[in-house]
Amino acid sequence: MRVLVVEDDNDLNRQLVGALSDAGYAVDSATDGEEGHFLGDTEPYDLVVLDIGLPKMDGISVLEEWRRADRKMPVIILTARDRWSDKVAGMDAGADDYLAKPFHMEELLARIRAQVRRASGHASAELTCGSVQLDTKTSRVTCDGQQIKLTSHEYRLLSYLMHHNERVVSRTELVEHLYDQDFDRDSNTIEVFIGRLRKKIPADIIETVRGLGYRMSSSPDEA
Amino acid sequence: MKLNSLAFRLFVTSAAWTLFVLPLAGFLIYSLYRDDVQASFDGQLRKLVTAINIDSMESGSDKPVAPTNRYEPLFEVTNSGWYWQIKPLDTAKERKLISASLATASLPSPVEEKLKPDEGGARWMNIAGPKGEPLRIVEVVDTLGHEPDKPRYSIIVAGPLDWLDATVANFRNRLSVALTLAGLALVGLTLIQVRFGLLPLRRVERGLAAIRSGDAAQLKGELPLEIEPLKQEINALIQSNQDIVDRARTQVGNLAHALKTPLAVITNEARDDDTRFSKKVAEQATVMRDQVSHYLDRARMAARVNVIGRVTPIRPVVEPLVRALERIHRDRGINIHVSCPEALKFQGEKHDLEEMLGNLMDNACKWAHTKVWLTVTPETSANKKGNLSSDTGRNFVRLTVEDDGNGLTPEQRQKIGKRGLRLDETKPGSGLGMSIVVDLAHSYQGGLELDASRHGGLSAQLRLPTV
Repeated sequence: MRVLVVEDDNDLNRQLVGALSDAGYAVDSATDGEEGHFLGDTEPYDLVVLDIGLPKMDGISVLEEWRRADRKMPVIILTARDRWSDKVAGMDAGADDYLAKPFHMEELLARIRAQVRRASGHASAELTCGSVQLDTKTSRVTCDGQQIKLTSHEYRLLSYLMHHNERVVSRTELVEHLYDQDFDRDSNTIEVFIGRLRKKIPADIIETVRGLGYRMSSSPDEA
Repeated sequence: MKLNSLAFRLFVTSAAWTLFVLPLAGFLIYSLYRDDVQASFDGQLRKLVTAINIDSMESGSDKPVAPTNRYEPLFEVTNSGWYWQIKPLDTAKERKLISASLATASLPSPVEEKLKPDEGGARWMNIAGPKGEPLRIVEVVDTLGHEPDKPRYSIIVAGPLDWLDATVANFRNRLSVALTLAGLALVGLTLIQVRFGLLPLRRVERGLAAIRSGDAAQLKGELPLEIEPLKQEINALIQSNQDIVDRARTQVGNLAHALKTPLAVITNEARDDDTRFSKKVAEQATVMRDQVSHYLDRARMAARVNVIGRVTPIRPVVEPLVRALERIHRDRGINIHVSCPEALKFQGEKHDLEEMLGNLMDNACKWAHTKVWLTVTPETSANKKGNLSSDTGRNFVRLTVEDDGNGLTPEQRQKIGKRGLRLDETKPGSGLGMSIVVDLAHSYQGGLELDASRHGGLSAQLRLPTV
């Protein structure tokens, strides 16, 4: 999952990027409204954490611009202005959730998980595909009840596939959503990680659809 | 008309002036008239005395003779008040001549009283007549044939003064009646003039009342030249008042932003490790966060007090709020049912209404199973409970927020509204929401009542002033 953080306070920005990376997200960050708007407009993020009080272009305008351009990724607004008029303005501009500063990182992470889950159509915090279970809260992956140890790259890949299970996910899409913008996208690491994942979970759960990409499915034979 | 009013002042000065000037004018007119009547009476007497003088002294006889011409018929009627008398001044032997009207009486001679003559040589005196009636007499002193060395005679003519007095008194009475009527008419006119003249001020008064009740934001309409600047000043004052409040609000918001981001950084940094020091920092950062919220609320409340004439229609506030809340709680499929008549208004700030309703409804959404109700009704005497406020002179509107959750026990309801208290630590929130609602409602002389809802959950009733 790829997340954009737009926050002008350098310390808070660093903390957010750190916490989100630790939680297994690929994180890009911007420190002003214009940069944030440009990134959100051009990169396919799964979620944006957006501060309202930004230099150059305020958060509400950034959000409105995105929604006008039909960018539908979930956006969580982060702001010190916690009055209801501000919340209403934020929600009316197209925000999906609202978190007032100062906040606890755990609460932000919980809300991010909820938004990502909803965007991909899952109701529960536990994603299941066949015998594989992924708990988005604890980042634990089990297969038939046995915990499986994954590296963070492997976890990100599995998590994205499970959020979008029963759907063909192209290699490009995976690259775009799993790695931040500084990552070297020409490499063939996706295939390497798919190969490693197949060794740790039942191999046939991740199916290769030739010329299109990969699909995670509990019943691969029906495809 | 109140004692301490412009109308009263204008009326009193104007009326006092009328009441002072009219009697003075009356007295002047009366004096002039009296002098005039007196002068014409004196003229008549002078003509008579001159005629009698000529008749008696220039007859060619060696003695004065009684005038043959009657001149005044009343000279023949006894005690008529009209008399003449010719009396020698130098010899006591000679008989004096008198009119028939004088019978046996005689008139005193002013020259013997050492009275000085006027420029025509006549002497005037007011005396009591033979009957005691007031008389005016005129006397000339002359000699036979005007020869200077002959004996002198006093020629006197008397006329009754009571006739004169009666004429003057009659005039005075009629004058008084006329002037009293004129005075009343003037006072009445003054009253009308004051009312008409102060009409624009009444308009200003009504305009200010409209601003206070929120029907208008500014004083409107043409006003007379003299108070037009007043109108502009008042409008400017209202505008600057609003600007100040808005500025204060913005500053408060800026301060919040400036403080909360560093607090977020400190909090997150401190929670990252587990030392005693970082625990202390985290704990104190929480205290700071609550303090910041607390004093920002205070500042917002202080900035709000006595803002003239802000009125907020309730429906336009409710609708976006419901939209936002349904979005915030969409995972749980919360449905918000709103019943709010279009016409209802809240007398106060839009932000404050949003704040109170937002907190109450957000709470309801957190605790509800699937449904939240908002019912807004004007307060009637039937549902007035009276214990929320001592102020009885204002109208109130009742906003009831209910949910279908599990509700609260009476003990829990007692505790609600205490700052920082959270009934359920597992639900997100700072514990400040309800106390903000209570503080805000009180600052508007309203209140918050909690009860069990017929839908199973909590029923929070907010009572707020309306127009």
